[in-house]
Amino acid sequence: MPSSLSAQNKNKRRQFPATVFWFSLGIVMEVCGSSSPTLREFGCEQNLLSRPDGSSSFVQGDTSVLAGVYGPAEVKVSKEIYDRATLEVVMQPKVGLPTVRERAREQCVRETCKASLLSTLHPRSSLTLVLQVVHDDGSLLSCFLNSACMALMDAGLPMSCLFAGVTCAIDTDGQVITDPNAAQEKESRALMTFAIDSTERRVMMSSTRGSFTVHELQQCIAVSQKASDKIFQFYRDSVRRRYSKTL
Amino acid sequence: MRDTPLSNCERDFLLKAIEEKKRLDGRQTYDYRSIKISFGTDYGCCFVDLGKTRIMAQVSCELITPKENRPNEGIMFFNIELSPMASPAFEMGRQSELLVKLNRQLERCLRNSKCIDTESLCVVSGEKVWQIRVDVHLLNHDGNLMDAASIAAIAALCHFRRPDVGIQGEEVTVYSTEERDPIPLSIYHMPICVSFSFFQQGTYLLVDPCEREERVMDGLLMIAMNKHREICSIQSSGGIMLLKDQVLRCSKIASVKVSEITELINKALENDKKARKTGGKFGFAESLPQERITALKTDVSPVEMSDVKEKANEIVQRAEVPPQTVPSPVLTAPGTGQVGEGLENSWGLEEEEEEEEEETMELEEGHKEKGRGDMVVISDSDSEEEDVVILNQVTTKEKASSSNQQGAVASKQKQKKKRRK
Amino acid sequence: MQACFKDKVGDVLLPGDVFSFQMPESITDSKPEKVVCGPGLRRNGDEVLVCKSGILRHKQPNLYWIDSQQRRYVPGKGESVIGIITAKSGDIFKVDVGGSEQASLSYLAFEGATKRNRPNVQVGDLVYSQFIIANKDMEPELVCIDSCGRANGMGVFGAGGLLFKVSLGLVRRLLAPQSEIAKDLEKMFPFEIVVGMNGRVWVKSKTIQQTLIVANLLESCENMTAQQRQTLFRRVADGSI
Repeated sequence: MPSSLSAQNKNKRRQFPATVFWFSLGIVMEVCGSSSPTLREFGCEQNLLSRPDGSSSFVQGDTSVLAGVYGPAEVKVSKEIYDRATLEVVMQPKVGLPTVRERAREQCVRETCKASLLSTLHPRSSLTLVLQVVHDDGSLLSCFLNSACMALMDAGLPMSCLFAGVTCAIDTDGQVITDPNAAQEKESRALMTFAIDSTERRVMMSSTRGSFTVHELQQCIAVSQKASDKIFQFYRDSVRRRYSKTL
Repeated sequence: MRDTPLSNCERDFLLKAIEEKKRLDGRQTYDYRSIKISFGTDYGCCFVDLGKTRIMAQVSCELITPKENRPNEGIMFFNIELSPMASPAFEMGRQSELLVKLNRQLERCLRNSKCIDTESLCVVSGEKVWQIRVDVHLLNHDGNLMDAASIAAIAALCHFRRPDVGIQGEEVTVYSTEERDPIPLSIYHMPICVSFSFFQQGTYLLVDPCEREERVMDGLLMIAMNKHREICSIQSSGGIMLLKDQVLRCSKIASVKVSEITELINKALENDKKARKTGGKFGFAESLPQERITALKTDVSPVEMSDVKEKANEIVQRAEVPPQTVPSPVLTAPGTGQVGEGLENSWGLEEEEEEEEEETMELEEGHKEKGRGDMVVISDSDSEEEDVVILNQVTTKEKASSSNQQGAVASKQKQKKKRRK
Repeated sequence: MQACFKDKVGDVLLPGDVFSFQMPESITDSKPEKVVCGPGLRRNGDEVLVCKSGILRHKQPNLYWIDSQQRRYVPGKGESVIGIITAKSGDIFKVDVGGSEQASLSYLAFEGATKRNRPNVQVGDLVYSQFIIANKDMEPELVCIDSCGRANGMGVFGAGGLLFKVSLGLVRRLLAPQSEIAKDLEKMFPFEIVVGMNGRVWVKSKTIQQTLIVANLLESCENMTAQQRQTLFRRVADGSI
């Protein structure tokens, strides 16, 4: 129910990207095909919660996620690792208790964070990342990744690189849509989320659904790499803005 | 994780400050911190900021069968999540004392006060009623969770719309939001919880304690009240003795606070309604504070896709040619099989193969061919019973032959062993 | 090599940013260039990697580091911190300093303390002390004496005063020599202040009101320009707030 509801709301107030109008306007197809996919407007606020060591809220269109990080903090003896920090990722759904789906997403985010964090610098300590869904309107996993990255940065944890999450959907015509909303996700034939690193734009994590060809996969990766530039630039701008008064 | 311990110095200072009627953030004794109520994009999603305490509530609904003793009443369900985000002391999935206390108080405040018309939630008596579920997520703990939670929960309930249902004879149709406008819950009154903390055995009293004040307090009195000055629940914890006058005074203060907060909730609801009606901007995304330097927002940004196709082509061409997918079932090892669409069935074979692990390769291949041949027969035949018969026959035959061969192999191995000895 | 850094001093850098240098072809043994990497910078082969977000700072002659606004403290050797005694066990106190592990503080690490003459320290007391052992693999250890056995300002706090937390970035700004914030604060009214590198600040003034004013001012000047701060302080000093 919530997803369909939000779709309706969006119809009212925001025009769909050009790719959606295909069926009705066959002639315009050429023009639309050449127009590039877009990232919805995104925003971020860092350091908004007083208790966690680092926090951020990331908004992509209507999708929005809140992230909080504690660490390096005391670790339970049972979870202690002698040569690096123990990273825990907790995902809180909006309704009900965490299910298998949340666990799977936790895993995706955890592996990405693990790859970018220099956890050997804080052995025998715990890093806890808590992610709270605020609103799901598609591309949720990429929003999780982006807010996680901002929160880790806010907490000042040592990282070898940043990462950005980009979700691509392939619609029934084989056209790539970046940062799809819930309605676009539902109509899509395949859905892929990539975590891209900031140094060499490499793929750190991928999570896919549906069927697609190798060519389409490569195309989506290439698009995600392009899109990640925008996100990394956004990271830089927001951090620069944050430090603008202490320069 | 452990919470930062409270030092003696903080404790002494706080108590001394309270004696002098001063508070850490410059408030007066009866002042609330600033309350900010905002709503999400979904119906029934509410955020409450009470100073630095931050809480999110989400209401959802579901059709279920009612309880037997109340066949025509909907069910209210409250669930508070102590997210580890709110405080390092909160752990996942642990039923802490605080959680039980908060949950119980919220239930008493909102369910037992009968503020929601549960009978209107009945769809088919004794068969289908709505269960209204309220999930309250604590996001940041800076004291007075109960008040913030009760505000968030009641505001979310007021904001919530459930889908419309139609009944035609036996059939119940749930209409989507596009088909019919969803219906708000019928709420009789809005109980709001107001907490009072007591210090020095009840000598001093503070409204809306912050986290550090909560840590040094002796006792807590929570009064849930609606704007008609009706007390919905009252609870004293911490084991302090309160005089009648004190409780009466608290209830007077509570009535003032409740009417202020109710006003605030109504205003917030109205604003949201207006924004939705006019198609203006609403929801969490729009509530991102633009003026803070820790926040930044961008507009819709296009992704350049000009050379993407070429790049993808290049990569694909450079990559090794993927191995041709093999259409026929491949048994990679004896005792394994493939199950899935588009593959030939090889079930007939598997059961024996488990027993035939020591078999030689030639023997296995022979079986495979045999098995396939058998399968054709099976699938062609119409009645299932016959299948079983044929299958059984085959298997028994095969078993017999294989066991013979197995025996031979085994004996050979034995001989080898003997020789080694 | 230094030029590469100097260009970026005062810039905001993000994790993953890299300083790479062209190593001169002929190795001139006479004057090898050296750069000291402070917090947030790490050597990675021929490159220097940024691993925290913040502003690149430089100190003569060749020290570079990233100045960030984090909240969680990581113990560093020689740093002075405000700790809270959480337990007494045998010959040591356990002290919470806000790091990932509780630090230990020996009974004997106080000025004038002997086996017989133990310091009067209770659980919950505050101590101002210095790290003598602080590395990632070992339990951190604190002392309340300097190398000569003198207290030198360290030890248990007296009664009164208020403890509160601010970000580590603000603490560093407060502790910097010729700190502007400290100067601005001084002008208001007399008060005692102890600033720990772990983000804890203790303030004591003549009245509770004044102590609260200082605490609230410090908490609020995290994200303020010098000008905004001075106007605010002036308004408070004038008594308009």
